[in-house]
Amino acid sequence: MSTESLTNIIQVEDLTTGYNGRTVLQNVSMVARAHEITVILGASGCGKTTLLKNMIRLYQPWSGSIRLFGKEITDMDEPEFNHLLQNIGVLFQNGALLNSIPVSENISIPLLQHTKLPRVLIQRLVRIKLHLVGLENAGHLLPSELSGGMRKRAALARAIAMDPPLLFGDEPSAGLDPVTSAALDDLLLKLRNDLGMTILLVSHEVPSILRIADSIIFLESGRVLFCGPLKQALTAGIEEVDDFFSKGSEGRRAG
Amino acid sequence: MVKITYSENRLVVQGQLLISELENLEKILKFIDKTVMSSLEINLAAVNRIDSAGVAFLDEILERGKAKGLSVQMVHAGPHIAATIAAFSSRNLPEADSTAPPSIFENIGGWLVEVGRNTKQLLYLISDSAWFAVTGLFHKKGVRKGEFIRQSIIIGMNSFPIVALISFLVGLILALQSAAQLRIFGAGIYVADLVAISMTREMGPLMTAIVFAGRSGSAIASEIATMVVTEETDALKSMALNPVRYVLVPKIYAITLTMPLLTVLSIILGILGALVIGMAYLDIGPLPFYNEVLTVLILKDLLTGLIKSVIFAWIIVLVGAYYGFRVRGGAQGVGSATTASVVASIFLVILADSLLGLLFYFGGGADM
Ligand SMILES: Nc1ncnc2c1ncn2[C@@H]1O[C@H](COP(=O)(O)OP(=O)(O)O)[C@@H](O)[C@H]1O
Ligand SMILES: [Mg+2]
Repeated sequence: MSTESLTNIIQVEDLTTGYNGRTVLQNVSMVARAHEITVILGASGCGKTTLLKNMIRLYQPWSGSIRLFGKEITDMDEPEFNHLLQNIGVLFQNGALLNSIPVSENISIPLLQHTKLPRVLIQRLVRIKLHLVGLENAGHLLPSELSGGMRKRAALARAIAMDPPLLFGDEPSAGLDPVTSAALDDLLLKLRNDLGMTILLVSHEVPSILRIADSIIFLESGRVLFCGPLKQALTAGIEEVDDFFSKGSEGRRAG
Repeated sequence: MVKITYSENRLVVQGQLLISELENLEKILKFIDKTVMSSLEINLAAVNRIDSAGVAFLDEILERGKAKGLSVQMVHAGPHIAATIAAFSSRNLPEADSTAPPSIFENIGGWLVEVGRNTKQLLYLISDSAWFAVTGLFHKKGVRKGEFIRQSIIIGMNSFPIVALISFLVGLILALQSAAQLRIFGAGIYVADLVAISMTREMGPLMTAIVFAGRSGSAIASEIATMVVTEETDALKSMALNPVRYVLVPKIYAITLTMPLLTVLSIILGILGALVIGMAYLDIGPLPFYNEVLTVLILKDLLTGLIKSVIFAWIIVLVGAYYGFRVRGGAQGVGSATTASVVASIFLVILADSLLGLLFYFGGGADM
């Protein structure tokens, strides 16, 4: 997929949605720019996961528009959207690995689904991804035999199996120890720098956000308080944003 | 697009080495394997994009070349391409779980070891249960108050309607099958004897146990398996509570009480089923039927049935608990543990029934 000419890989306009008649997101507009790491911030329960799930059409928004790679997805037909999904990797908040098959097979699912690569290459790719997330010796284990942090890393390996131009990550570093969490940040930077991935993350870890984020989107009670470059956010003088970063650096977690 | 050409020990790769471009590569890999060369140089000067699938592809060629004893080199990669190759290279990674499938002897050996281990675990579980069930009668600490009553109601109520219905139908069918023959000899009244004895000694306990295994045994297995999977049993242990004692023993008490009660119910309903046939088909009134049943049934018949039912109950609860406690692998494991427990307990119940039949027959004289 050609992404060169596009600056906004994700463009959401006036998105309003919720569950069972209860509004969760209200007139949300945001963008994520090509080859950037964009981080969504906000207290837990403010609708970050909901926003991500709407972007991959697990839920239909009540109103508004979502464009990925310049294409409106809210009214796209099924085959076209499935084709688009080849270019998207998703790391779910709880990992969402298939529990009945080993980790390495979990990682090979998208490769088998979307490509015609020879088996040897698929196996090699699986090994590369396992190595990237530091699980080279865990490929044969079942997800239930992994610790929570390992499960999350395995899920990330599956999300990047196809080197997707666009990666969604719902709290990839939550629950990880500081060392693993820093290694994960390095990996995300590597994916952006070497492969030019566009990455949209949900995160609460202030040190990590300061290190890797190019842009941030600050959500509060279902509305966007700020959307733009990190540097601007830090100097914009928005009380809630300043609060988040100062409290976060003291070691407290927002979520 | 990606273009790959070969001439005189030199492989030239051009264009975008991306996952979406990499198809039909089997051909190139086979070509490398087959072609005679003295060395191999991979020229990457004209590669303008690469991703990890491209890197994997180059690694594969490199390692195949090396396996043939060639000196293989990648040359002229641009700085960005070289950096990506370095970042994603799969060379020097440990071989992925290339565990060969076990041989047939390993399989048999592993199976025997497994059977041994399982038997040991089952014996541990039985001795633990027996110990805590007996000591639990005297020490009430560490058990939820009212748990016995609660469990009895849950377990009994679960199975009550279906046991009743099935027993009634079984009695009806037994009577119907024999009524035609007996009527020929004018011996229609003996339908009462036949059904009363077979329900009491055999069909009552057996039918109750089978329904019980499917209804309550499976519930016990899935409840315990879920507790293991969600680490609830670990939490109990961390609070110094023995899961067998806390979770299982109340169920054992409850099932030991409810199973004989349900069996009696089953016997009564089976006989009622026969009575329906007797009245509708053989013109036997309820009173003569009742008197016939009373004269033929002796206490020993009822005891036989009740002893059987208690033994079946223990089999069901222990098998359910055994599969529950040894569950492995997440939510999926809960399902398979439950299924396995039902199959195993029905099998063991029928096996035990046969053995008990022999025992009562030879041990109790030919009239049994
Ligand atoms: N499947 C669902 N059904 C109903 N309500 C939901 C569902 N998922 C999330 N919610 C509600 O939507 C709100 C936002 O949830 P979520 O997007 O998961 O928050 P976040 O990821 O920011 O912590 C919460 O109030 C939550 O209770
Ligand atoms: Mg969330």
